[in-house]
Amino acid sequence: MCCQARELMSTGASEATRRRHPPQATSSKLQTFNTRPDIATTSKMRLIKQQVERDGSGTVTLYPEEPEDMWHAFNLIRVGDTLRASAVRRIVSESATGSTSSSRVHMNLTIVVDKVDFDTQAGQLHINGRISEENKYVKIGAHHTLDLELNRNFTVGKAEWDSISLGVVKEACDPAEKAEIGAVVLHEGLANICLITEHMTVLRQRIDISIPRKRTGSISAFEKAMDKFYETIYQSILRHLPIENLKVVLLASPGFLAESLQKYIFAEAVKSDNKTIMSAKPKFVTVHCSTGHVHALNEVLKSPAVIARLADTKYAKETKAMESFFKMMQTDEDRAWYGPKEVERAIEKGAVGTLLMSNSLFRSNNMNERRRYVKMVEDVKASGAGEVMILSSIHESGIRLDGLGGIAAILMFPLQDLDDSDEETEADVDNQDNDNL
Amino acid sequence: MSRHKIIRTMNLADELDDYDGEEDYYEEEDQGMSPEDKAKMVDGLRRVREVLGDDVPSLTNERIEETLWYYYFDVEKSITYLLNQAGTTEKKKQKKAVAAESKVRHTSSPASRHSIPPGFWDDTPFGAVPCYRLSELLPPPMPVDCRTSGLLGGSGVQPKTSKLAALAKARSKAKAEKAAEAGAESRTAVSLLDRLSKKKTDTPPTISPAAKASTTTSTPAAPPVPDQLHEKATPDTPKDEKPIETLATPSSEPDLLPKAQPSGFAMSMFGNRISGLFSDGIANSQIYCSVAPSQKAAAKAKQGFEGPSPDDVVMAAQSQSKGLVKGQKPEKNSTAAAIQKGVEALKVADAPEKPAPQKIARKKIDVVAEYEKSKSRRKENANLVVIGHVDAGKSTLMGRLLYDSGVVDERTIQKYKQEAEKIGKSSFALAWVLDQTGEERARGVTIDIAVNAFETEKGRFTILDAPGHRDFIPNMIAGAAQADFAVLVIDSSPGEFEAGFNIRGQTKEHALLVRSMGVQRIIVAVNKLDLMRWDQDRFDEIKQQMSQFLTTAGFQAKNVSFIPCSGLTGDNIVRKPEDGLVPWYSGPTLVQELETAKPVTKAIEKPLRMTIADVYRGGVINPVTIAGRIEIGNLQVGDTIVVIPGDEKATVKAIEVDNQAADWAVAGNNVQLHLAGIEMDYLKIGDVVCHADTPLVPLKEFEAKILAFESLTPMMVDIHRGRLNASGRITKLVATLDKGSGTITKKKPRHIGPGSLAVVNITVTGAPLPLEKGSKIVLRADGLTVAAGVVE
Repeated sequence: MCCQARELMSTGASEATRRRHPPQATSSKLQTFNTRPDIATTSKMRLIKQQVERDGSGTVTLYPEEPEDMWHAFNLIRVGDTLRASAVRRIVSESATGSTSSSRVHMNLTIVVDKVDFDTQAGQLHINGRISEENKYVKIGAHHTLDLELNRNFTVGKAEWDSISLGVVKEACDPAEKAEIGAVVLHEGLANICLITEHMTVLRQRIDISIPRKRTGSISAFEKAMDKFYETIYQSILRHLPIENLKVVLLASPGFLAESLQKYIFAEAVKSDNKTIMSAKPKFVTVHCSTGHVHALNEVLKSPAVIARLADTKYAKETKAMESFFKMMQTDEDRAWYGPKEVERAIEKGAVGTLLMSNSLFRSNNMNERRRYVKMVEDVKASGAGEVMILSSIHESGIRLDGLGGIAAILMFPLQDLDDSDEETEADVDNQDNDNL
Repeated sequence: MSRHKIIRTMNLADELDDYDGEEDYYEEEDQGMSPEDKAKMVDGLRRVREVLGDDVPSLTNERIEETLWYYYFDVEKSITYLLNQAGTTEKKKQKKAVAAESKVRHTSSPASRHSIPPGFWDDTPFGAVPCYRLSELLPPPMPVDCRTSGLLGGSGVQPKTSKLAALAKARSKAKAEKAAEAGAESRTAVSLLDRLSKKKTDTPPTISPAAKASTTTSTPAAPPVPDQLHEKATPDTPKDEKPIETLATPSSEPDLLPKAQPSGFAMSMFGNRISGLFSDGIANSQIYCSVAPSQKAAAKAKQGFEGPSPDDVVMAAQSQSKGLVKGQKPEKNSTAAAIQKGVEALKVADAPEKPAPQKIARKKIDVVAEYEKSKSRRKENANLVVIGHVDAGKSTLMGRLLYDSGVVDERTIQKYKQEAEKIGKSSFALAWVLDQTGEERARGVTIDIAVNAFETEKGRFTILDAPGHRDFIPNMIAGAAQADFAVLVIDSSPGEFEAGFNIRGQTKEHALLVRSMGVQRIIVAVNKLDLMRWDQDRFDEIKQQMSQFLTTAGFQAKNVSFIPCSGLTGDNIVRKPEDGLVPWYSGPTLVQELETAKPVTKAIEKPLRMTIADVYRGGVINPVTIAGRIEIGNLQVGDTIVVIPGDEKATVKAIEVDNQAADWAVAGNNVQLHLAGIEMDYLKIGDVVCHADTPLVPLKEFEAKILAFESLTPMMVDIHRGRLNASGRITKLVATLDKGSGTITKKKPRHIGPGSLAVVNITVTGAPLPLEKGSKIVLRADGLTVAAGVVE
């Protein structure tokens, strides 16, 4: 058959992780976080215990409840931290006679983190490290990879809890109402089905179908292929978007595709008597955008129709901030600067009005570099006039910011030549390199 | 692979699918006698009768209906036509009468044919009429007079075959075939069968009832029957002028009729009373031989009619292969449709068919030499892209051009007009020639490029009608990438030119885009001047502003020309405007101006590069077909090609250049390649076809020299190259360059201002793209064209 889809199945395993267990009775004091009946939209990582000394060292115990919490954990745990979490380890024991037997043992392990790996699609966090607390099964220094699990406590220990880290904990446990939205951006032959949560944009499925173009006298092939295209999108929406939990489902495209898709969805829902879709009718909103690629989400989220509905969500604010930065770049380029050096100089001069940083910067394994960024944030906050926004690096706005080096600033007054000495210093570096050779 | 194998491996469902589609298509075209139409028909008939009354001889209801149908129920035109025709038929009739006199003696004169000689049926055994004496009751034959004119009013150009013309053609064809040996199966039939399904070639064609019924329209009128059915219609069909000699009709001379023995039934009914009448006592077997005046004629008649006629063969083949003859259809429609299908099938069969052997022989043609040789013989084909702001009238202008140059016939336009009026968009009728999808028509906006070809005395042109709406600029880019030159359409009506010309208007964006994609020649069609009463000041004003802009956009003054015109009225497009309408303009028409533009010379000796513009199922024999324009290099049947990205290989089974089979093709040709050895899933619109030995290496990261139209920072962009549309990111701004000298003005700029020349690094988000040094790309973001440039 000619119109077989070239589908890139992007997820599938996430089903298991989305299961919601009933909250276990842990610390009764913290149950207050979860008083709202609508668990689906308000459940948040729970802070079980926080023990931070005056010198900044200490541990925090957290209870993750949903995949997004893994994203917070990913931003929290860095190389060199200690992490205690439950694990399953296979133990091989040798008897006196020399025969071996192996068994799986559940235990709590503490490791010193070597590597942190986050799988966005599945929402899983794998942390590699060496064991730092001996027990009767494992020795210190043995390697282990901890897979953090939902609904099981983990404890992070840091030598230095800075304001950013504590900020992450605070944000992760913030019970503010969430707005998850589904978005389908498409153009002829290409559709991206995304799930946007407070902190993450997850591409659930990408549909890429070759559609014959219209030819003189023969449009049936084109129309057949378009029908097939809509059908694939519809099925994918049913499979990948938890419609009843979503605040809104955005259908965005150039031209009239989105409207046609919307019509198709409801026609199909009526035909197959799909109550979920039919009752969610008001949630479907069509928006205009210029392309079907994922980065069109930027355009979608800044369109007035969406802003009106989602004005107070974090990602809408982030998108808006990025937008104003780019606008400033065009209208008054001396008030918009990006890149660590330039922004650092601007901060020194006390000029920064809005500081935009991507949280990818804080995941740096280089302690000094991290300290430098933390200092920048604290300086801006201390100046009293500036506002700091830390953007999630897996939202579209964050990806845009990462393109600029992860850091940008809108200044209160124009500054020129912040990059002037740049070329010289780099030239120097180049020279030095040459000398060394 | 043998043909049996093809049959065996053929997916029956797919094939049927295919034909379904085809039939739907015909249905839409021909059989749309909806209840509304019928109502209109009755009304129209009444009105025509009112005007003409009954004083016009030979005016049958059928003819009026036919004419009305042809003119899409336009009463006035029909009347004019009928009156004209009536005059000519009268004359013809007189001539006919004279001619009939001198015919061979067994030719029946029109008058005598309606009276049955006494004793005519005497020899026929009751209940056992020999089959060759059976006649069929027929619907009245359609008037064939119109075959000469095809069109009655309107443009007077040679129209496309209409239904009636097709009918006439089929008849004359049938005549020719009859002359050929009856036994030799006509080539048409064989190839037709071939095309449809090979199974049927060895089974002798049988006549299905449907086929039999349909024969009737293509053979001359049946012998006279005691029936009033024909009385009105037959006398004025020119077919009847000709002697009906080949028909096994009984002679009109009663004396010659020998009498047969009374049948058993007759005997039982009448007993011996009648036996005396048959005293001649000739054996039944002889009677049938001697019915005709001479043995020879009888034999001839027998030979001609025992086997199926060539038409029957064709019809049988069709009815079998379609398998779904719509019996319930009104006979008139189904026969007409069948005939048209037959004619269509003939056309297809004309193209040389390539068998599909496992190994496709490569002929080792020296394509470059062949091309040089053929240069003088062939008219060069030039591609032109039609661009301009939304609603400037691009599609209408092109629809008009195609209509006036005879590519589209009157009937189609009439139909579009009616349908467009129905949804209140009557001025869109001409645009519908190009805007064919439901969405495009309902919204009155072109969405995708439409490709059409037309020919003048001096050259062949392929029109790429681009959408003007800013959302569909990616499609417009695809069209512009295939163009040799551009026609920029400008709406001259008040405010509209300015709207298209302002900063966000597509007039500017399109012009910049085509220029940056290498188009050098541009013709500015100042459209809708009829609305401005052909105001010279307006034309000059637009000309002055546009010249200035186009010069800054990089077009040389000698490559820019301005034509005043009106797409809706058709003035100064194909024909000159009426005298005195545009006194201030004496220059060429749009078509004349097009003829001066020559296609760009292409590098035909370099390695092959062709961007796939379309992938589709070309039919039963060619399940995988790709279309596009060869950008560089040459190609011949049997070549092994590779599709980039990916390294799927395929063999070129057949090539079509401008819809005609060819052994080779060179850069600049619009081709359809029928491929073997590849699945459709591996082919994607936007991929690049190369020869297997000179493949292109797809790039994940590249450096590009670009001209910025908007402010650029490191950002996400859409990368366009022809049909290719991918997402990427500008990762690094390397330097800005001086426009004149190309020297670096600033290294590592923070951002690139609009209008400046720069070098940037671009990373592709997804899979590597089929780009190489020298590929022209366009970068877009947020619905704006932000830059255009070349891969370094």
